[in-house]
Amino acid sequence: MDEEYDAIVLGTGLKECILSGMLSVSGKKVLHIDRNKYYGGESASICPLEELFTKFSAPAPDESYGRGRDWNVDLIPKFLMANGQLVKLLIHTGVTRYLEFKSVEGSYVYKGGKISKVPVDQKEALASDLMGMFEKRRFRNFLIYVQDFQSDDPKTWKDFDPNTANMQGLYDKFGLDRNTQDFTGHALALYRDDDYLLQPAIQTITRIKLYSDSLARYGKSPYLYPMYGLGELPQGFARLSAIYGGTYMLDKPIDEIVVGEGGRVVGVRSGTEVAKCKQVYCDPSYVQDKVRKKGQVIRCICLVDHPIPNTKDALSTQIIIPQKQVSRNSDIYVSLVSYTHQVAAKGWFIAMISTTVETENPEVEIKPGLDLLGPIRQKFVSISDYYEPIDSGLESQIFISESYDATSHFETTCLDVLDIFKRGTGEEFDFSKIKHELGDEEQ
Amino acid sequence: MENMATRTQTAQRPNGSAQGKICQFKLVLLGESAVGKSSLVLRFVKGQFHEYQESTIGAAFLTQTVCLDDTTVKFEIWDTAGQERYHSLAPMYYRGAQAAIVVYDITNQDTFGRAKTWVKELQRQASPNIVIALAGNKQDLANKRMVEFEEAQNYADENTLLFMETSAKTAMNVNDIFLAIAKKLPRNEQASGASASGQGRRLAEGDTGARAAGSCCK
Ligand SMILES: Nc1nc2c(ncn2[C@@H]2O[C@H](COP(=O)(O)OP(=O)(O)O)[C@@H](O)[C@H]2O)c(=O)[nH]1
Ligand SMILES: [Mg+2]
Repeated sequence: MDEEYDAIVLGTGLKECILSGMLSVSGKKVLHIDRNKYYGGESASICPLEELFTKFSAPAPDESYGRGRDWNVDLIPKFLMANGQLVKLLIHTGVTRYLEFKSVEGSYVYKGGKISKVPVDQKEALASDLMGMFEKRRFRNFLIYVQDFQSDDPKTWKDFDPNTANMQGLYDKFGLDRNTQDFTGHALALYRDDDYLLQPAIQTITRIKLYSDSLARYGKSPYLYPMYGLGELPQGFARLSAIYGGTYMLDKPIDEIVVGEGGRVVGVRSGTEVAKCKQVYCDPSYVQDKVRKKGQVIRCICLVDHPIPNTKDALSTQIIIPQKQVSRNSDIYVSLVSYTHQVAAKGWFIAMISTTVETENPEVEIKPGLDLLGPIRQKFVSISDYYEPIDSGLESQIFISESYDATSHFETTCLDVLDIFKRGTGEEFDFSKIKHELGDEEQ
Repeated sequence: MENMATRTQTAQRPNGSAQGKICQFKLVLLGESAVGKSSLVLRFVKGQFHEYQESTIGAAFLTQTVCLDDTTVKFEIWDTAGQERYHSLAPMYYRGAQAAIVVYDITNQDTFGRAKTWVKELQRQASPNIVIALAGNKQDLANKRMVEFEEAQNYADENTLLFMETSAKTAMNVNDIFLAIAKKLPRNEQASGASASGQGRRLAEGDTGARAAGSCCK
């Protein structure tokens, strides 16, 4: 440990592992430490099942749960958008070769106490039970507009300037009603609240395109999920970092981040050992005095022995409950994965409900989600504080990631990572460069 | 739309007739730092040896094929990328491995002790029918031997491991140990395909899905 590094990364959550990988690939000498003896931090998948029960102080699972080692339970539920940033990172860094994925089978949206399939193309729009006859036509026209839209070709904008006019304006142009706006903004554009309505329409159009491009990639739904759970993702990026020379130490307590003149970081101390460095990258748990609480997220892990009712027995699903449907300010997400993803024993499913906490009684807030699941065999609720750094890190050279938010996918995760990388190195991450270098790795 | 990365593929000749099976297996290397794991891989895959083997940057995923009768066995070889040093190998490393070579250095008794620990770790963590080979490396340094051949052979027999002494430097037994493993691996379609992957798909650029099947022996 008593060496000098360009960067020391603390914590092996997904964000830190991606950063570590990108830094190593860019030629930096990296030391990557975790205080835990396992990879993943908050983004680990818990195995065996007994450990999950212990973690939540529940009595040990009985034999109906099968072999404990067959379970890998995520603590933070998310899916990958098939055409999103994380998939891009996985492919361009070559990390994808360590992983296998499955498409998520169904994508549903909640309306009036019932769930309906999210309509994504013209055909589905016309068949959907979310809208009445005339509304379907209007929605179809809207979808065609988005499909044909090219940000660099004003001809496709049809007398509407998406860079200045807001999204409400675009909805109004097509005469879409409140309900349609609701599932479009929340289930297709994946906004968590309604602030987007007053933002330039281009942002929402881009998001709907991401959704439909993702869908086009693997069918069924725009979402992907890795076999053996999300905990595989940080491990994959850690391996990338190691391959490019990164040094890994687990089970190593961090006692101090040593700061020198002008408040700049000079090293990291564990016991009596000090590793010198020019920069530190870490998650909020390593620097509690440099982060502030932004809010809370409630997550509820439910072990069930059946698929979610009314999803055509899908072995994986996502259900979005738009805020307005249940008189809230932020959406509730329900996700389901199963034994077919090697995250549960044969016949078992793991459902997760998550949302941003808005009241004093968060468990009541997730009830609309719980009510969709049918009988639940075991439930684990956690409420976590959501932190963000108090500064950009440029002065101290300590770059801190934000806690994982309540979104159902990794887009914000990647944006945070790319932003930290840029702050830390002064450069955008050059995707094309690595890919080329990896080219001759396989003979 | 379907493009699952099937692990057992049938190679096609240009005229379309089947040429024989290609079975793909994940093989992992384990053992203490500096026993010669990366050197064994480099010797097997590229036929090279470096006296001062730098930590193998950027090359911890290599493939090599061996041919057995009508079957091409393609090894997808995972080197530790140095993550064994501070005991920080990830569970992902063992995941779905169908073969493992546990390496020790015959001139260093400690590394033999560590090899036994790795074997136990594999028996605990890896799939139950994994094929494990024990390699006593640096056989060219037999004059400085600290681990007797018989001792290792007995240990291997007790634990039903394949065993060979090898030298990445002289190439002794390097191809042989991989070939011996290939012979012990199940080569029927089901065994090689399904047990390997969790039956998901690999992602690739432009969604080409599975990589093209490698060609047979040169
Ligand atoms: N004499 C001799 N040296 C070897 C042999 N295999 C590896 N080495 C040397 O041992 C050192 C460590 O090898 P390396 O492959 O990096 O070990 P690893 O840490 O297990 O991957 C290097 O200096 C190699 O040149 C061998 O068979 N004979
Ligand atoms: Mg090595």
